[in-house]
Amino acid sequence: MITTSNNITEEQLIEDAIAGSKSALAELVKRYEQTVYNFAFKICRNKDRAEHTMQETFLSMVKSLKQFSNKSKLSTWLYTIVSNHCLMLARSQKKYDYDTLENEDGLIDDRNVVDWKFTPDKITENSELKVALDNAIQKLPHEYRIVFLLRDVEGLSTKETGEIVDLSVPAIKSRLHRARAFLRNELNNTLGK
Amino acid sequence: MKNNNVSCKEVMSHICDSLGEDLDSPKCINIKSHLENCPSCQKYFNSIDSTITFYKKYNVELDNDGHKRLLSVLGLEDSEE
Repeated sequence: MITTSNNITEEQLIEDAIAGSKSALAELVKRYEQTVYNFAFKICRNKDRAEHTMQETFLSMVKSLKQFSNKSKLSTWLYTIVSNHCLMLARSQKKYDYDTLENEDGLIDDRNVVDWKFTPDKITENSELKVALDNAIQKLPHEYRIVFLLRDVEGLSTKETGEIVDLSVPAIKSRLHRARAFLRNELNNTLGK
Repeated sequence: MKNNNVSCKEVMSHICDSLGEDLDSPKCINIKSHLENCPSCQKYFNSIDSTITFYKKYNVELDNDGHKRLLSVLGLEDSEE
């Protein structure tokens, strides 16, 4: 029987990589590079920074693979490394205005509810829409951005998201609520007809 | 607009809170009933739903050069099968 790397389980690849197999390590990288790059881009909104984050993430993975316990999924572990890396970078760079997000009343804007001029099926061919999405999410502090991306965009559970960013389930729900409302308001300003 | 004893602001807040969660509590049933009859809250619901879908669909692809640079950084250039 011919065995290709595609047939090997993740657990076996991790075991082989820890034992020194470079081809097993390369296969693990290949399986997750697209997910890690895409997630890093969704946080950074910049391809160069996303590539740098991806490289740093896999360097950390290679360095710490022996400490990885199979209690969690490798993907969850990688999301954790990307999130921590981006949070660390963000803390050393920009200060956000948190007042908008803390003000619950101001977040729910029930006065200006209009239809939007774009629908989600237009995303791939519309650069104006992409700019609006980039601008809106860049105004959202990283602590909220990562929760929104993990839970709503990557589809992780509330519990998994909490484990990655080290927050309780109620704290995740609160951040998610605020992030959704904030992004919706920002997009409403540019996409509202 | 106010019907079913909940305000639009409450409904909108609830949409932000619980999109994608189970909506079976008595309060949620009240909210759903309001939502069915309130165009303003329906628009708000759609805009929150679209916000999430926009970010889900906005993806980038790692090209072959990026893949090669990654393997090189990791010292795995010659390790692919």
